Amino acid sequence: MKKALITGVRGQDGSYLSQLLLAKGYEVYGADRSGDSGLWRLRELGVEGRVKEVYLDILELSNIIDVLERVQPDEIYNFAAQSFVQTSFEQPILTAEINAIGVARLLEAARKVCAEVRFFQSSTAELFGGTGSAPKGEGTDFHPKSPYAVAKLYAHWLTVNYREAYGMHASCGLLFNHESPMRGEEFLTRKISMAAAKIKKGLQEKVLVGNLECRRDWGYAKEYVDAMWRMLQQPAAGDYVLATGETHTVREFVEEAFAAAGLRLRWEGKGLQERGLDAAGRVLVEVSKEFYRPSEVDCLSGDASKARAALDWRPQTRFRDLAALMVEADMKRLEERK
Amino acid sequence: MKKALITGITGQDGSYLTELLLSKGYEVHGIRRRAASVNTTRISAFLKHPRLKLHYGDLTDSTNLTRIIGEVKPDEIYNLGAQSHVAVSFEEPEYTADCDGLGTMRILEAVRLLGLTKKTRIYQASTSELFGKVQEVPQSEKTPFYPRSPYGVAKMYAFWITVNYRESYGIFASNGILFNHESPMRGDEFVTRKITRAMGRILLGEQKCLYMGNMNALRDWGHAKDYVRAMWLILQQKKAEDFVIATGKQYSVRKFIELAAKEVGITIAWQGKGPAERGVVKAVKPLPGLAGEIKVKKGDVIVRVDRAYYRPAEVETLLGNPAKSRRVLGWKPEVSFPELVREMAASDLKLALSEHHLRKAGYGAVKNC
Repeated sequence: MKKALITGVRGQDGSYLSQLLLAKGYEVYGADRSGDSGLWRLRELGVEGRVKEVYLDILELSNIIDVLERVQPDEIYNFAAQSFVQTSFEQPILTAEINAIGVARLLEAARKVCAEVRFFQSSTAELFGGTGSAPKGEGTDFHPKSPYAVAKLYAHWLTVNYREAYGMHASCGLLFNHESPMRGEEFLTRKISMAAAKIKKGLQEKVLVGNLECRRDWGYAKEYVDAMWRMLQQPAAGDYVLATGETHTVREFVEEAFAAAGLRLRWEGKGLQERGLDAAGRVLVEVSKEFYRPSEVDCLSGDASKARAALDWRPQTRFRDLAALMVEADMKRLEERK
Repeated sequence: MKKALITGITGQDGSYLTELLLSKGYEVHGIRRRAASVNTTRISAFLKHPRLKLHYGDLTDSTNLTRIIGEVKPDEIYNLGAQSHVAVSFEEPEYTADCDGLGTMRILEAVRLLGLTKKTRIYQASTSELFGKVQEVPQSEKTPFYPRSPYGVAKMYAFWITVNYRESYGIFASNGILFNHESPMRGDEFVTRKITRAMGRILLGEQKCLYMGNMNALRDWGHAKDYVRAMWLILQQKKAEDFVIATGKQYSVRKFIELAAKEVGITIAWQGKGPAERGVVKAVKPLPGLAGEIKVKKGDVIVRVDRAYYRPAEVETLLGNPAKSRRVLGWKPEVSFPELVREMAASDLKLALSEHHLRKAGYGAVKNC
């Protein structure tokens, strides 16, 4: 039986991947520092108690070495991260300690303890940041726009370096935005899907958003973790862009999510004064400066043709369906909470 | 009077920059690490200068950096401090990242937190190692990076966090992407200095052989004294930008060895290929006044390859395109490659001579710092 170690196992990607690997018959070891706050994901996905919990913190090398020696994993998936772009402006050092140097510790420990292991590093479309709107492939032209992205860029290149310098099977997935009902509510899409559901049910009045014109390539996380697993089954390690190739604005996501909750929005005003109203003229969406980043990434779209060709991977869930399934899940949660 | 703060003031670039800034009338503050061995040799000539002040500090210590920057309130910060050795970074990846990568952010954060974003200009010492496996030739400010070592990756972090603080907070923070720059002040664990040190010592019989890694590696080599002038110019611009600083000319490590040998009167012939390659003395022409001291002779093998010096991932070729720095900064290097090698070889021959005489007089070896 194959053994996989997942860091950040209680996050969105970690929980979906656990579900996938358990279904494939893996023995899954999971580490997470979020405590109980992420357990709901494993519970909702029906894998709570089936993931073997290990205490591993990527801030501590000796701890990592100890866990790797005990588990002797065949595959490591690294999702451990301070994953909020906004927070990285407030806590740039902690972000770098975890997202950058943490990966150095993990790779170094793996090199010492289990050099044959297959390693997945979760890189992000944020690396492309300010490189313009053309679809992004696996090239080298990056321009990170936040301390989060700069730290992730370090991790990306260090992973490449360990592959090239030591011949390790270490791969990076350049993941464009991937969302799901398992997203944390601090993230934009989930904040909106939950708001749409709550507003519909009369539990919330309105929602504040940032830049409505931001364009993103949004896919369904459950499908993305499948690509990660496929990457580690390849004979040779490599880096892959995982994306849908389709972009939509934040405004479109808001519209689709509210429509899925049965609320049709119309827009009034411009820029920071813009508001989304329902048929009765109630303000449901407001723009707030608070949610603008100090340095904004305008448009991100990915070209996943390499993943399509080499991994035979195709995202199936369309943008509208993604927004709808997120709202439906939140509606259901609200009903169960009652 | 302008105030400058230099991290890494005890290094090669720090010492040349100190000299330059003192000559321009700056009050110069430097950060040195506390060490059990003397680490101020390169700036010993300025230690008593009334406008030079040293502080104990460390790039891995946020509190310390914030306090020093807060006390000095410098007009300019030159961040030259780093774990600067590529090969060592494979052994110490974590420390290298902490010092070279996060260290840079600690400085940027300190400037931001102290409210000095309008006052303090920051120079970040970036490096041609960012280009690593080069994506185009020659490399300019627009060439994508492809680092090949934990050092290169950490320095890339520093590059982009500098750009990010400039874009996010409007700090005047610029990167100089410096190609290899050498001098007699280079640390003797760096390849150029290792070569010039060896040639003087081999000539006088203080060393038998020079062990090398990849001698095919091509580098764009300039003189550190020229390059610190570029650093200063970068901070005098109207707008913060990033600049490639290079000569635009490229030579192999092998060529460096040949020239360094020639400077002490040795002509080398190469035999064999790859790890079996050897440099053999073809002729020795004694320099004036040295005839009686020369121990090396025709046919001696004085250069060999030791695979231990191969890097896990090699950077084969680096060649900079200095067009932008010439156009915008008006900078161009004054010291040519042969002049650079000559200066280093001459300086190290002197060192080797004193070592030689001391040993002959029964005083054993002296270690150069």
